[in-house]
Amino acid sequence: MTDAARVAPRTPLPLGARILGLVAGLILTGIGIIMGFAEAVSVQLVILAAIATLALWMWGWHYVLGQFWEIGGDSEDGPGPIRSLWNSYRWPLLGLAAILLAFLVLSATVTGFFNVWNVISLLILLTILVLTRTLGRQFQQNRSAFIGIMVLSGLFSVGAMNIEGFSSAQNIKSMLLFAAFLGLASVGQTMVALLGGLDLSIPFIIGAANVGLLYLISLGVPPWLAMIIVLTVGVVLGVINGFLSYRLQGQALIVTLGTGFAISGGVQILTSIGTAYSGNVFGTVPKWLANLSSMNGTTFGLPVPPVIVIWALIALVLIVGMRTTVYGRYLYALGVNRTSANRVMISELRYWVSMYALSGFFAALTGSLLLGWSGGGFIGVGDQYLFLTLAAVVVGGTSLLGGQGGYGFTVIGVLVLQVLSSFLVGLGLNFQWQQFIFGLLILPMVALYARSPHIRTQI
Amino acid sequence: MSITTTGPGASARSDAPRQGGRSNPFLLMPITLFFALLTLAVLRSPSLTTSYGLGAAVIVVSPLILATYALMASVISGRGTVDLSVGPLIGFINVTLIQLSGAGIISSPIAVFLYAIAAGALYQFLFALIVIYVRVQPIIVSLSGYLALSGINLVILPRPGGLAPEFMAEWGYGTTIFSPPLIIVLIATGLWLLFTATAFYTHLRLMGSDERAAYTSGVQISVVRIGAHLISGAFAGLAAICFTALIGSGDPSQGTTYTLIAVTALVLGGASLAGGRAGVFGSALGALNLYLITFSLSTFNFGAVQSFVTNLAYGTILVVSLLLTLLIPVIQRRIPNFSPLLYFVALSVVVLGVILHASFDYRSLGAAGAVLPGPLDMQAALTGPLEIAIVSPATEALRLQAAPLVLSVIVLAVVALFLRLAITEAGRRREIGMATGVVVAALVLAIAWVMSSERPAPPAQTAAPVSQEVAE
Repeated sequence: MTDAARVAPRTPLPLGARILGLVAGLILTGIGIIMGFAEAVSVQLVILAAIATLALWMWGWHYVLGQFWEIGGDSEDGPGPIRSLWNSYRWPLLGLAAILLAFLVLSATVTGFFNVWNVISLLILLTILVLTRTLGRQFQQNRSAFIGIMVLSGLFSVGAMNIEGFSSAQNIKSMLLFAAFLGLASVGQTMVALLGGLDLSIPFIIGAANVGLLYLISLGVPPWLAMIIVLTVGVVLGVINGFLSYRLQGQALIVTLGTGFAISGGVQILTSIGTAYSGNVFGTVPKWLANLSSMNGTTFGLPVPPVIVIWALIALVLIVGMRTTVYGRYLYALGVNRTSANRVMISELRYWVSMYALSGFFAALTGSLLLGWSGGGFIGVGDQYLFLTLAAVVVGGTSLLGGQGGYGFTVIGVLVLQVLSSFLVGLGLNFQWQQFIFGLLILPMVALYARSPHIRTQI
Repeated sequence: MSITTTGPGASARSDAPRQGGRSNPFLLMPITLFFALLTLAVLRSPSLTTSYGLGAAVIVVSPLILATYALMASVISGRGTVDLSVGPLIGFINVTLIQLSGAGIISSPIAVFLYAIAAGALYQFLFALIVIYVRVQPIIVSLSGYLALSGINLVILPRPGGLAPEFMAEWGYGTTIFSPPLIIVLIATGLWLLFTATAFYTHLRLMGSDERAAYTSGVQISVVRIGAHLISGAFAGLAAICFTALIGSGDPSQGTTYTLIAVTALVLGGASLAGGRAGVFGSALGALNLYLITFSLSTFNFGAVQSFVTNLAYGTILVVSLLLTLLIPVIQRRIPNFSPLLYFVALSVVVLGVILHASFDYRSLGAAGAVLPGPLDMQAALTGPLEIAIVSPATEALRLQAAPLVLSVIVLAVVALFLRLAITEAGRRREIGMATGVVVAALVLAIAWVMSSERPAPPAQTAAPVSQEVAE
């Protein structure tokens, strides 16, 4: 969101607005302090929380209101305020009315539906909707990130209220663990999508790396060497993918699918040569690998699975790197417009191939880490990532047409998907209902920000 | 084959623009692959060309062909509409059909067909409305539909089971070629070919290759898009019926497989995923190619790694044939008016010879051991049909023995004649069209003859032992 702040020059707020903001912030902080003392929290924490609340509130007040002030200057003329409100927010208002009506009908028909938690959940849902439709318009650049964060916080708070143990440290840890796997698998998909390509070979490389690593270990190769071999092979496969699909960019989807089939078949043939168990590999996973990605793994003594830390580091490097380095900016340049990027001597082939290589590397890494998590090789371990990586990229807000988005968006997308799925699990829904609701929710989430302009505006 | 090496005449070049709309060089790859695979499959296992073998093939391939058609109709409409949800949609119609017929709500064939087509069309109608009015990328809509449908399928029917409607009970046996799925596929193909003659189809292709151009030239792109999706939905409904007939029950978890296979078949058939270029001929060939790959590989005994080899071959063939499409512009530059139909017929004549060779039971000829047919035998065989007098049993046996030779001679003559026609009259379509019609009719007759005079061939008879026996 700092990007939007940079883009929009901040205008000073009028005095009245500033005083109003200060008063509201003080009241909020006061409530926090009273609550803190009522809960008998230590004084240091209360003071820290108060300062943080006030600072955050003031920053948000200035930031958000500043956005409004700049744009909402000349909306005085035209039809009356209610009329213009209706004109600009017709569909959201109708949607809100529909949700309210559905809630009323549900409370009238289902006994026990009308309780405090559900009312609060409804309010949160409505707030998210209203905020995304009103505030979201102000964030031209990073609208999807804003909406993603809103959805994430809303989902999380609703989940924390309705489901017992949802916000416990254990649950958050497990959510982050699974998010880390999905996040690492989606790195490549994001990078490739930034160039306008797709990589469907990711799940197959994940499965192949998973089986291949265990096979190498069972052959007696030292685990660290086996891991390096697997990662190298992943890069090589990615490079092959890149070269094969370079001339067939429109068909990248199907080329990578084909190589994926071939990779998965080839690795399974390799691993079943000389064994009686076709496709099944047995072996023991080394301790350090298991520690890397198991729930009770520790990072330098901290009770956090190292894979989460690895994911966070990679995400940080990618987000910062894509923004600041020449390499990252060139990538966006290529994604937006090939021709003009070629004119400034950016090699399309090099970037295309290296993005696929990255994708292969991260798929192999995910496969290896998943071996540590599951403890046994299974070729189908990556199958669910076939469309989930795509969904994470899309929900995060990276355009599949290229040039828009970034890994930070995908991180938000991954977290949204993970929290949503934990939420649905917590509600007691089984896998098929989860998938159904997933499918139904992806569309409106994407529709909130990724609508393409009408054809008449493209001519 | 030989046609590709012939240089274009002057008349051909002048006629090239007129033929441009019809000739699709992208069919070159699927046709070549199809005949290569067919030859391999027949040589490996001649039982494919028996009535049972073809019947089984028809049953297995028909849902795949129709699923590819469903994908094709929406892919033409452009914007990268690769409907990933086609597999789950077929699964959805399948499981709901099973449940509805199990509950006794739907039982008559008309109701089943109406339901399947309406359900498919309704889903695709919603799809089109979302793409048009919400203006989200179609691939996202299809991803969303994929997840939602494959979830709800498992809710409707948690595990494979149930019984297909009664009238379908015998469809899945695959004992005869002319089973109802074949008729459904033929009708669907025919309807699509009729549809290609309409202006609507032209609009559809225009929209698929350049939506802005279509919009500015006054094409109602919303209507066209909805129409394409409705057709796609109807095909999906038919595919679901054939799928139900194939498995005879309901299966909620076939979604991923069918989606991936159908997309693969579509691309193998020379369609462009970017839109504007796809056809029934190529799509059907693509689906057949996939079946032939599986069939050929199943004749080899890979033991436990069978499915892995199939995966490997699938992927490799897919990638290689995609890479070979890159050569097509080069070929096109040399031969401006490549006619896929001619190419198809020429190759099919050659392959028919191979089929005859592979499926003819040489061992049934005589107990005295096969005689290497000399020129004298051929002479007798050629003059045989002219003799009116009753022939002796020995002559009869001799004639029977020489029959494949006669046929191969006829085939060779037809090939020669045909190539001659193709070379000299490449520019004039009407004459070629007539010749093609004659040859196709002859082919159909020949196949019918092979079918009717069929003897139960020993299974998995390979080509190598046969030729050894002849040589003895």
